[in-house]
Amino acid sequence: MQNESPSLFDAYDRGGFYDEMLTENGPRAHYQKLFQNLSAMSPHDFRARTELADLTLMNQGITFTVYGDEEGTEKPFPVDLVPRIIPANEWAHLERGLGQRVRALNLFLHDVYHEAKILSDGPIPRDLVVNAPNFRRNFIGANVPGDIYIHICGSDLIRDGDGTYRVLEDNCRTPSGVSYMLENRLILTRVFPGLFRENSVRPIDDYPSVLLNNLRSFAPPGREEPNVVLLTPGVYNSAYFEHAFLAQQMGIELVEGRDLFVDDNMVFVKTTRGPQRVDVIYRRIDDDFLDPLVFRPESALGVPGIVNAYRSGNVVLANGIGTGVADDKAIYPFVPDMIRYYLGEEPILEQVPTYLGWRESDLQYMKDHAKDLVFKATNESGGYGMLIGPQASPTEISDYLNQVMADPRNYIAQPLIALSRSPCFVEDKFEGRHVDLRPFILCGKDSVTIMPGGLTRVALRKGSYVVNSSQGGGSKDTWVLGESRNAMQQSMGSMVQRMEGGC
Amino acid sequence: MLSRHADCAFWIGRYIERAEATARMIDVHYHFGLESPLVGRALTWEAILAISGQKKKFNLRYQEINERNILHFFAFDQNNSNSILNCVRLARENGRAIRDQISSEMWESLNRYYLDYRRWNVDRVISESPFAFFQSVKNGSHLFQGITNRTLMMGETRDFHDAGRFLERADQTARILDVKYHDLLPRFTSDVSIPAPTDPAVVDPFSVGGTVDTHGWTAVLKSVGAFEAFRKTYRQGVTPARVAEFLILNPQFPASVRHSIGRVEGCVRRVSGNRDLSPSNPAERAVGRLYNDLNYLRADEIIASGLHEFLETVEKRCAEIGFAIGATYLKY
Repeated sequence: MQNESPSLFDAYDRGGFYDEMLTENGPRAHYQKLFQNLSAMSPHDFRARTELADLTLMNQGITFTVYGDEEGTEKPFPVDLVPRIIPANEWAHLERGLGQRVRALNLFLHDVYHEAKILSDGPIPRDLVVNAPNFRRNFIGANVPGDIYIHICGSDLIRDGDGTYRVLEDNCRTPSGVSYMLENRLILTRVFPGLFRENSVRPIDDYPSVLLNNLRSFAPPGREEPNVVLLTPGVYNSAYFEHAFLAQQMGIELVEGRDLFVDDNMVFVKTTRGPQRVDVIYRRIDDDFLDPLVFRPESALGVPGIVNAYRSGNVVLANGIGTGVADDKAIYPFVPDMIRYYLGEEPILEQVPTYLGWRESDLQYMKDHAKDLVFKATNESGGYGMLIGPQASPTEISDYLNQVMADPRNYIAQPLIALSRSPCFVEDKFEGRHVDLRPFILCGKDSVTIMPGGLTRVALRKGSYVVNSSQGGGSKDTWVLGESRNAMQQSMGSMVQRMEGGC
Repeated sequence: MLSRHADCAFWIGRYIERAEATARMIDVHYHFGLESPLVGRALTWEAILAISGQKKKFNLRYQEINERNILHFFAFDQNNSNSILNCVRLARENGRAIRDQISSEMWESLNRYYLDYRRWNVDRVISESPFAFFQSVKNGSHLFQGITNRTLMMGETRDFHDAGRFLERADQTARILDVKYHDLLPRFTSDVSIPAPTDPAVVDPFSVGGTVDTHGWTAVLKSVGAFEAFRKTYRQGVTPARVAEFLILNPQFPASVRHSIGRVEGCVRRVSGNRDLSPSNPAERAVGRLYNDLNYLRADEIIASGLHEFLETVEKRCAEIGFAIGATYLKY
């Protein structure tokens, strides 16, 4: 596609990284059509569409507040309009690997809160598990419906310099971001309707239905029409938009702790027609804030007595209590061992080599090679508590190492992975930015559903490896292509005659 | 529905109505001041402070009663909990808290109302066009209410929203009438005084039926959007008694106290489903009592017993209705 005006891809530099779209010989096969479309667009046109997307986000209130600004200026959540595409065969591999992983993690949780065989048999050190800050020893022996602890899992995947997918971490507590996955898709269909006609993109819009069906299926026995609610910390939580969005999409009540109370070990919600029993709570509040009688006594977000109601089996929490031990970064290196131990299978997905502060030999290595390593606190999220050795000053490194030495169990280190990059619209042209991928995995009583796609997060700052939204990250729509792509293309070929410059 | 959600819906209704009422009040008095140099600006701005019952609060933080300060106080002051800015902001925050309960269109409308409003400030209002500013507020409220009518399910969320909206409207109409009555009839209640003309041949413009008086009652009608409707109802001139009758007792005018309270009663009765004549809870009792009075009273009775006293009672009863709805449904 020739165009006389400057192309968005002019002077595009892959920078020696694995690029999701481009190789030295042009676009990868699954990006062919998108590349043609984008090459035909002028920077002006692309910017106009970006502005349209921003306006849509502003009007819907999908914004974040710029801190330190007294006027409370709000900015649209950054979405990069160039989609990330995953071909069908790659996705099939990821789907198998993620399913295997979440099954093993659920079995691990059931095990450590019951007989703890895996600790006696050796693959995982007992000390690491029972001293994990998110191991809830008062739940030992408690049973949960279907033995499912992680109903919703968000595992973060990255691609290294060869394009190999690796699991970077699992989020088994209250993973967020799925609303952005759904909203990004909505925005792209509005801004680039033509692109969807030309690529057979698998739909993701049944996420809320699958989640609701799953949640209902876990209701306590004898509750024919279970009452499912979503528990949020409230409007000031940074993920509040997502909570409201999901509640609306599922048609369930969005409640705060103060709307609920516990009586006779049952949970009730205060309505205009008096108290009503609650059966399943999709909670977006961490364990620590859930019940001031059991966890942090000063928490005003939770519901006193809810933990006893949960233990009595009168209410179901999703995710369950105590799942944080499964996504502890110091337990992460042992997930492949869990898979072998519980499932008798070889892990399908690669991980990232990890050094444990807890292990003396590793700790020594971490000290000696600090400037080559990425350090992480084991129970932080959102990109906090990190040190990127190759980008840090000697003082920052020595300060950080002091923290590590004070509490080695709380730290891990990994080699810096050269994350893959994807073209992003930056100041009127495309530039490569590092990306990761968070797919969303839903566990039913006997099924695992993985939405085809997920949230591709982008480190929008040039050269940055940190994709978290709290650290200047944005996101992209993620397309998983259908198997029947060729057949689709043929049958639609005559229908799709693209207008000049439009997509 | 959740009590907290009902509370939010109720307050969205109140805040959106209050934003509009505040804009109307300043708008009309703004122009009243421009057109009637005899009265002087100070008097009309004072009346506005009296309507809102916020004179003390204003005096604490502003040196002088002037156009700029009044506009800032009522439209943009972040410390004035009833400023239009805060009404729109709080309506939006309540909307955010129940955005899963209301329609997406309603939420987007609240959100845009706020974002558009944030582009205004006192300088822009004065230099550009006060008219366009007040119009944008009225349109923002009307757009939201229209979208609500069209997209929100007939149900409890809507009933609580409407109860808040009409209760606020009844209250605002009563207040405007009350203060103008004070302001115009006894001639001067404030520290501003203008001597009556010494030449008996000159008509005192401040006397009943004088130009300022007629002008003032016309302003009252305009401030609640009633002028044209009043003209269609009464072929004779604008007199205080007729204005009072129209704004309090007219069953068809959408901002009359009687119509508004009737709507509130409809809402609380739909929520409870009670069809008996006698009330089934404190909310129904409070609103039913006031509505019955309004249905059976005559204008001459109200005026004979003292319009100001009557309006004060109405304002007090509106507050009681608010508390009773809260105690019955929202904060038990």
